[in-house]
Amino acid sequence: MSPSQTLPLGTIRTDQVWKRFKADQQRMLLRDKVDSLARRLRGEKGEDWRWALRDISMHIEPGESVGLIGSNGSGKSTLLKMLTRVMYPYGGVIDVRGRIGALIEIRAGIHPDLTGRENIYLFGALLGLRRREVAGRFDDIVEFARLGGAIDRQVKFYSSGMQMRLGFAVAAYLEPHVLLVDEVLAVGDAVFQQRCLDRMREVAEQGTTIVFVSHDLPAVESICRRGIWLEQGSIRVDAGIKDAMAGYRDSIEAQSEAGGRTGEPLQLLKHEVRGEDRDSLTTDEPMTVELTLGGEYRGDATLHLGVSEGTSSPIFQISHEIRLTGGDRQVACVIPRLPLPRGRYTLWAGVYSIGRTDGGTLMSWHSVGQFDVFGPMLDSPPRAVVLAAPVFVPHHWEE
Amino acid sequence: MGGQRAQLVDERDSQTTQAPGRRPSAADGPPPELIFKRGLRPAQVARELWGARELVRALAERDLRARYKQAVLGFAWAVLTPLALCAIFTLVFRRAVHVETEGAAYPLFAYVGLIVWQFFSNTMNQGALSLANNLSLLNKVYCPREVFPLATMLVATVDMLIGTAVLGLLFLIFWTAPAVTFLWVVPLLGIQFAFTYGIALVLSVAVVYLRDVRHLLPIITQMGVFATPVAYPLAQIPERLQELYVGVNPLGAVIEGYRNALLYGQAPDAALTTIAAVSSVVFLVGGYLLFKKLETGIADVA
Repeated sequence: MSPSQTLPLGTIRTDQVWKRFKADQQRMLLRDKVDSLARRLRGEKGEDWRWALRDISMHIEPGESVGLIGSNGSGKSTLLKMLTRVMYPYGGVIDVRGRIGALIEIRAGIHPDLTGRENIYLFGALLGLRRREVAGRFDDIVEFARLGGAIDRQVKFYSSGMQMRLGFAVAAYLEPHVLLVDEVLAVGDAVFQQRCLDRMREVAEQGTTIVFVSHDLPAVESICRRGIWLEQGSIRVDAGIKDAMAGYRDSIEAQSEAGGRTGEPLQLLKHEVRGEDRDSLTTDEPMTVELTLGGEYRGDATLHLGVSEGTSSPIFQISHEIRLTGGDRQVACVIPRLPLPRGRYTLWAGVYSIGRTDGGTLMSWHSVGQFDVFGPMLDSPPRAVVLAAPVFVPHHWEE
Repeated sequence: MGGQRAQLVDERDSQTTQAPGRRPSAADGPPPELIFKRGLRPAQVARELWGARELVRALAERDLRARYKQAVLGFAWAVLTPLALCAIFTLVFRRAVHVETEGAAYPLFAYVGLIVWQFFSNTMNQGALSLANNLSLLNKVYCPREVFPLATMLVATVDMLIGTAVLGLLFLIFWTAPAVTFLWVVPLLGIQFAFTYGIALVLSVAVVYLRDVRHLLPIITQMGVFATPVAYPLAQIPERLQELYVGVNPLGAVIEGYRNALLYGQAPDAALTTIAAVSSVVFLVGGYLLFKKLETGIADVA
């Protein structure tokens, strides 16, 4: 546990790492410093601190690919910054062995008056590459960023996409022992995103340790084998990526369910999801959803039903027009062949009025509950290929 | 499997695999023996700085290229500023106030001081903002932070070299040769660099924490050029205060030393130069330690 211990390159160790920030940040004027100094002299509490990370201990072996997941403000980026050595912990030991590469969007460092070529060398130097090394990878970098002939043009004449790709491409060709990736897939179009994922897969296969932070859960799942779920600065789960994901997804849904909807014209009184012959649900077999709505509202409305897997965007959504007559109302929806593979899903529902302009929300779109589907597992895609949503497609192969 | 009910699973607290001993700790902080302390090992620091030499070059190159890319006169600006000041000083101090230069041509006398001052004020002004201007970068990429002020000093050094070429021209115009004692310039340069870098280090990290410092810079620059013996000889300062003065402002001894070595053919005053040397090392080491201590918090306040 001591830093002097010889660990192989690519190892990441954190032991009881704590980090705190000032709760009342922002203004950094002399006046404020004087104020807080005066307060401290009078014996009052000088500053208000807030813990961003509490007691983080994790051991990552060389070659592991780890996804850091958690909601906003859970401390993922702070932890990553400390692994990059940009930020320092308040307490604890951090030990990262070998060359650290951070796949981050460094557009801010691009100097607009310099050409793409000059910027690539500047970045290389910033990331710790020798001029020779950059020169050796120059063509790969230009190819990755798809800059082509623009390389000798001043960067200020680049499109914003080109600027971002430039910074990214240099980082992607670092060949580090440890690669840290923070929320980069928001950068660039679909083609470029896939290129980044491919690059991460390549790097992972070369035995580089990867720590990947993203809110794009399917992308994390497609790269990482291990998942660490952070919640309010503490490690909640450290397990295989599937288990960590499942726990995290459940918690997201629990939170969205917790936000209660009262005072709406319609309430969902009862709901049931079942198969046809048996109670259990099976892939490619019928599924019936029964809902009972209660409320005073009279008139035409559209009922929406959806199914999601751990995210707010549904895998599919179906709707139906109903006439409400002011009493309890039962509706059943039958899906003859359920297109979902094995897994746990969330059912969503919402009702909106038709032909009225006054808002129209009778029951807002919310998650109703979860159900399990039994059946075949989905075939796994190649690594670094992200499935947008799990859908079971009946098929057969011919040779 | 047939008997399994598949009703809606309504578990708020779904079972998650809790890693052993990783429960959110209730304690309010780490045990005191674990609190992070910045340890500085000189060998490691030196190795890291040596490893970053290409970065220093690249940053300086960036500044130089960017600075002159759209300026029509380009590198001429590095010469025009001290020359213009030199002309003004000659008018004011030579004609109006009549400063005694002990036989040296006044423009030469003033220009020697101006080169040093220009180097100092360039490094100080640019160096002070070198971290603040690159905060978004510092928040994302790790590199030894002291390279940023160092790179600005390198840029100022290039300007100084250009300025020195003009000094050669001035020697030609006034038809005097630099004295053979000019080799004393080398140790004096060391003092000049050490002091200047020490100041730039302190100011650069101070600007990140206290925005006010930014506004101090023009004041220091404007007062400094008169508080330093640029336009007048060090002898104008009372004899008994000179030692104290060069202790606080080693540049005084440096400029005086250059003049002795280049214009008067004398060795720099031993006592004053020693005091300036010691003082500049104190500024450098003190500034460096302060910088390294405050550096750890840059990403927190950025």
